[in-house]
Amino acid sequence: MLAFFGRSVIQKIVTLFFVSVVSFLIIHLAPGEPSQIDPLNPKFTPEMVERMRKEFNLDKPLHIQYLLFYRNLFNGRIVSWRDNLPVLGKIWERFLNSLPLFIVGTLLTWTISFPVGIRSAIQRDGIYDKSTTFLSYLLISIPGFFFAYILIIFVVTKLHVPVIGMETFGVTASSPLVRIMDRTWHLVLPSILGATGGVAVLSRYVRGQMLEIIGQDYVRTARAKGLSSETVYYKHALRNALLPFVTMFGLILPGLIGGSVIIESIFSWPGMGRMAYEAILGRDYPVILTINFLTAVLVLAGTLVSDLLYMVVDPRIKI
Amino acid sequence: MAGRGDLFVYRAELMMTVRKFLILAPAIVCCVLVISFFWVPTYEEQTKGNPDRLVQFVTTSSGDAAMLNPILSADSASSQVNGMVFEGLVDRDENLAFRGRVATSWKIYEHAYFYFNDEVATAGWGKIDPSKLVLNLKEMVSSDASRWEHVQSVVLLPREEIVRTITIQEGKEKKSVVLRAQAPPRIRFVLDRVDQSFFDSLSDVLGGDYLSSFDPTDFVSAEPALSEAHFAVAATELLPAFEHNPIIEFHLRPGVRFHDGHEVTAEDVKFTYEAIVNPKNLSPRIPDYEPVKKVEVIDPMTVRILYKRLYSPAFATWGMGILPAHLLNDKILAQEAKEMGKNPDEFTMRQSRFSRHPIGCGPFMFQQWKSDQYIRLKRYDSYWDGPPNYKEYVMRIIPDPLTQEMEFYAGTIDDYSVQPHQVDRLSRDDRYQNFSGTAFGYTYIGYNMRREPFNDVRVRRALGMAIDKKKIIDYLLYGQGESITGPFVKQTDFYNPDVKPLPYDPDGAVALLGEAGWQRGSDGYLQKNGRRLAFTLITNNGNPLRKAILAIAQDAWKKIGIQVETDMLEWSVFIQKRVNQLDFDALVLGWSMGIDPDLYQIWHSSQSGPYQLNFVGFTNPAADDLIIKIRQEYDHGRQVAYCHELHEIIAREEPYTFLYVGRWTALLDKRIVRVVTGADGQVIVRPIVPTKTGGYTFHLNQWIKLNRPPEFSAEG
Repeated sequence: MLAFFGRSVIQKIVTLFFVSVVSFLIIHLAPGEPSQIDPLNPKFTPEMVERMRKEFNLDKPLHIQYLLFYRNLFNGRIVSWRDNLPVLGKIWERFLNSLPLFIVGTLLTWTISFPVGIRSAIQRDGIYDKSTTFLSYLLISIPGFFFAYILIIFVVTKLHVPVIGMETFGVTASSPLVRIMDRTWHLVLPSILGATGGVAVLSRYVRGQMLEIIGQDYVRTARAKGLSSETVYYKHALRNALLPFVTMFGLILPGLIGGSVIIESIFSWPGMGRMAYEAILGRDYPVILTINFLTAVLVLAGTLVSDLLYMVVDPRIKI
Repeated sequence: MAGRGDLFVYRAELMMTVRKFLILAPAIVCCVLVISFFWVPTYEEQTKGNPDRLVQFVTTSSGDAAMLNPILSADSASSQVNGMVFEGLVDRDENLAFRGRVATSWKIYEHAYFYFNDEVATAGWGKIDPSKLVLNLKEMVSSDASRWEHVQSVVLLPREEIVRTITIQEGKEKKSVVLRAQAPPRIRFVLDRVDQSFFDSLSDVLGGDYLSSFDPTDFVSAEPALSEAHFAVAATELLPAFEHNPIIEFHLRPGVRFHDGHEVTAEDVKFTYEAIVNPKNLSPRIPDYEPVKKVEVIDPMTVRILYKRLYSPAFATWGMGILPAHLLNDKILAQEAKEMGKNPDEFTMRQSRFSRHPIGCGPFMFQQWKSDQYIRLKRYDSYWDGPPNYKEYVMRIIPDPLTQEMEFYAGTIDDYSVQPHQVDRLSRDDRYQNFSGTAFGYTYIGYNMRREPFNDVRVRRALGMAIDKKKIIDYLLYGQGESITGPFVKQTDFYNPDVKPLPYDPDGAVALLGEAGWQRGSDGYLQKNGRRLAFTLITNNGNPLRKAILAIAQDAWKKIGIQVETDMLEWSVFIQKRVNQLDFDALVLGWSMGIDPDLYQIWHSSQSGPYQLNFVGFTNPAADDLIIKIRQEYDHGRQVAYCHELHEIIAREEPYTFLYVGRWTALLDKRIVRVVTGADGQVIVRPIVPTKTGGYTFHLNQWIKLNRPPEFSAEG
């Protein structure tokens, strides 16, 4: 067990190294320059562009730039080119903003998908199953930004309440409870949007898994033994059907840092996704690369966690 | 047995709980979310029932500000906030003329110098010694006062020794060279205005070759020795035969204070200049201040700026917000670096917390900045021009245009920039007041004039005539555009209204091309010497308007028999691989312009190399001459005359087909008005009208929101 753990950590560090090299190369080989270096500004002289490039170390060979970048990253000294603020501080601040969105979105996704999926499986081909299937495909196919606009226009014009941002703008003097509820309300629409796709996909998975398990011999045996269908479905079938989801749970970890560009932009949510997107547009390499690196770390950590979880929940797996 | 039975019951219960849990969990989550709805303040409560809202101006920006330091920031959101927090020496008034802000008055004059040339005889007095020459010049000035009225004094400066170290790039190496000069006597004129033709008039008495034959290499020695070409350049730079040194002297307004109570003095002006040119700060404004030779503090309220050469755009650069020296000087920065545990040598203004918490002397003081959410400014009650009516100015950051629109309708934003397709509907909406004006940028098709067939003006004009610009404006911009014929901002007087736009005339275009030798071949395409008239029109990805123009131009040109391919490239590829390398036939692009008519970088022939902005390769000696003259002319009237002439040349040569300049439209809450207190203390309410500049926020300091929409009499 320990040996497996150690081996897997070493493997992941090697992977991480390659990820860091490849992502560094991709970003530097992509055309474009930091927005501070503006070749189409009539006021910029070539000397100035040269000095800017020097300041950003862009005049050095790539491998030196690579070393400088990762040295600064591990020292915690890396700063954004846009505003000279420490990148890690910026990311932490945005992470805290994205976190509630992520938590509520995940809660909605995982709590709704299971009952919906299980019921569809149990009442296979019934009206309920057919309508949820239809609804799922509808939700999967609808573009997120379009759905968001429809929801916003509906809520703003019919319900007359604000939906933009993390809290109602300008409400400062209210009591803590009002502020908490206000913040919760602002989570509703973006997290519903974030969850729609997830619910639609995940409930299909749950249904598929359940159907597969229900068809197994031991389930039939359990039924033949005269157990109530309640016990059959929720004890014997569900437990086994849950297994693959353990793996998926590990993989939602990277979503923590990814955020959602579209939803955050539409709702003016000051989160990670928006920052990453703007960093890419402005070619703010330190921010892009740091987020990239942290995402890679989380992906690898996520796979490690799901491996370990799998071992815990499935006694058949021994290493 | 009993025990097992219990266990079964327990398990069965657990089973029930699993099921209940699966149903309860989402139900609880949803309930909490739904309940929160009843706690949110509605828009009604936020806007109508909230008296504070009337003294708050809320605007939006699609991107967050980067740095709230006027000398470092270049993005529009930062500039918008910096414009409120900081104030410059001068700015432009409603009619685009300069007016004093921190400066009350100013004087622009010049020192003109030339070196005594003992090798050539003067035309007027033959060969004479320097002191005699000066006496003669003085006599000439006083005897013909009408011709030399601007000359204040003539002084002979004695010989002097000049030592200067310069760095020279030779091949790949940089070396530093010490130049020593035994400069001959020099004559200085003090003029009470800037006159770029002063030496032309002087050459009547000195003789045409007196100035041009002055050879500085005779007086200069270099250590180590330089190649001849380099040496000549360096020597001329050190001892120019003649030189204009324009001078601007600003008198500051006494009693203007920064938000922390410190008075704004000439030292702050000097500090701001030094901060900009300090290479450590990497200010994007350096090029504006490069022609400055020296900034001198005469007394706490007077500052004198000495320029190396004639450069008329320099005056407007003093609209730059003045930084407080006492908060950003080296000592303070070093202390801040120490507090933050950073190396003081690497610590500059860029890293300082000042950029997140600025202090200026503008009408609003900085209050709070939440990244990507909002920036709040508070009224500065001791603002010298009287405090603004609004107590707060807030810039919310909302990236999505639809979201901005929704918030505007709801009343939580006071203004909204309307998109072209909405103008028709919203400008008729009587819930809002609307403003529109001409934008500052134009869109054009540029031709690479180095290449066939664009080196023929007839072809360029024919291409321009084949495109129906009016249709582009009507259908692409929903009428929200205007035609433009030249490179100047349309609403300024630099723009020549007499230049007639090229007519839309496809038949005329065919005739013109025929004149240039292009005849329609059997395949329907125009041909000359067996070659088909074919080229590629390119633009950048991601701009739907340019994409549509590509198709329209392709179609229009195809109709007169030209084979056009089109291509769209990602922005950076477009710029780096095609525009910068001058590797294109024709392209669609836009320029956004400043008010200043300096066109050097975009139109002067010296700027047509790779990586320069005259990428179409426009070379015209008459235009070059005018561009330089415009740059050196300090008199507005004459500048306008030169600009009109230049405009005509550019329109005639058609290096670009000028397509359109956009129109902007903005909506504003109807209850917002201008409230001015008259001299007798009487309060006057006026409607908001846009100024000539095209801005409607010019009088923002006098704006306020009323409880209900005001009624204005018909004449306004």
